[in-house]
Amino acid sequence: MGVTCVSQMPVAEGKSVQQTVEILTRKLELLGAEKQGTFCVDCETYHTAASTMGNQGQAGKLMYVMHNSEYPLSCFALFENGPCLIADANFDILMVKLKGFFQNAKANKIESRGTRYQYCDFLVKVGTVTMGPSARGISVEVEYCPCVVANDCWNLLMEFMQSFMGNHTPGIPSVFGNKHDSIYSPADSMVQYMELFNKIRKQQQVPVAGMR
Amino acid sequence: MADGVLSPGVNLEAFSQAIAAIQALRSSVTRAFDCLKDGMRHRETLEGREKGFVSAFQDSLHSVSRDLGELERLSNLVGKPSENHPLHNSGLLSLDPVQDKTPLYSQLLQAYKWSNKLQYHAGLASGLLNQQSLKRSANQMGVSAKRRPKAQPTTLVLPPQYVDDVINRIDRMFPEMSIQLSRPNGTSAMLLVTLGKVLKVIVVMRSLFIDRTIVKGYNENVYTEDGKLDIWSKSNYQVFQKVTDHATTALLHYQLPQMPDVVVRSFMTWLRSYIKLFQAPCQRCGKFLQDGLPPTWRDFRTLEAFHDTCRQ
Repeated sequence: MGVTCVSQMPVAEGKSVQQTVEILTRKLELLGAEKQGTFCVDCETYHTAASTMGNQGQAGKLMYVMHNSEYPLSCFALFENGPCLIADANFDILMVKLKGFFQNAKANKIESRGTRYQYCDFLVKVGTVTMGPSARGISVEVEYCPCVVANDCWNLLMEFMQSFMGNHTPGIPSVFGNKHDSIYSPADSMVQYMELFNKIRKQQQVPVAGMR
Repeated sequence: MADGVLSPGVNLEAFSQAIAAIQALRSSVTRAFDCLKDGMRHRETLEGREKGFVSAFQDSLHSVSRDLGELERLSNLVGKPSENHPLHNSGLLSLDPVQDKTPLYSQLLQAYKWSNKLQYHAGLASGLLNQQSLKRSANQMGVSAKRRPKAQPTTLVLPPQYVDDVINRIDRMFPEMSIQLSRPNGTSAMLLVTLGKVLKVIVVMRSLFIDRTIVKGYNENVYTEDGKLDIWSKSNYQVFQKVTDHATTALLHYQLPQMPDVVVRSFMTWLRSYIKLFQAPCQRCGKFLQDGLPPTWRDFRTLEAFHDTCRQ
């Protein structure tokens, strides 16, 4: 497990999501990256059930339950700005039992699927983010496997991302800021995916609201 | 031709006589055994039989010893035939009349020349090599220890306590570097050096000589299944495989047989410069990556970071 940066790649003007993904993967292949199968990250949203809400009328927190094909035996449960729990994959069944406390917002299920590439010690995953039937955006995950301290290799990661993302290279992820010298963990990647998914959901909210 | 070669050392007359003597000896020996085989002949009385047998056997033994004496006398006359020839007995191969079919003699001469030349060159090479101070194997050390005066330290016979002290001192010198010393196989020390949160290095020592080093990632497993340090498998990451190569180069660069502790200290100082492996850009091209690798080379003097191809 190395240091990972998850970012969004805007869809090129006049192109579809699929075409932009192809342009990106072609650039990677030209660079010398090798295809290594596929990957999938998914995220389900749970509301705190109304019956368990306090009398004070506080807003229910959202909980996200995520899976990552890179860690097939694990399940990640996160609160926004809150703790991240890493559990075994059958945590999902537990969530069904907890229906009285947490309700699955099925319409909010979002996932990113795509191809996994390896270039030297880098892992690159370019995915299409879909919510329901429609493609909503492109996610790019870049991992530098040999390094374990996020801030050590940020400049190196950025240089690598510039080589195929050009001027869409993202800024330093917010999770890197609070890490200082501690070891980067898979949970940090999931937090980045959660933030990315939230951002993409919000982007789409405006046109969706307009359609109603 | 045969006479020309043989005449200086050999009496041909005596030679043919000696061959005849050998034949005589052989036949008398055969007769003695025949007599034994036939046993006692049929006579009227037992006494007569025994007497006849003993006297016949005595006669044949006498003739054996007479023939042997004759042969010995002749063999002194024959002399030593090929002593004067430079190739000794193998020189006789030149007598072979069918040179074309069995060119043994010319081949032999060629082989002899080759072997002479080889010996000469080997002598020169060993003279040159002995001038170099790079002596890493026990065999060489053993030979040179005999030649050298005993006052000079041989780096392979240091007490383990001394090695521990040197390593401890180096460990205290660099706060970001932790060194774990273990001796799983007798007196030879093995070090597990952890450099910050960047990398781990397994160093195999013999006394204060560094025999082998392997660089691995901070998150990689350095132990085998039975809990011993894994000194054979290489890192999964290309960057650390490259650093392992460079560290091996550094081992050969830092050599000072009279002061092995200085060698270990300089190597560790050099190794410490990898604390910024992922943070330092190349001093020549100013970039972080080249072919997907960060600057993996560290200059031996200045400790500046370079890409492998930028260092010349």
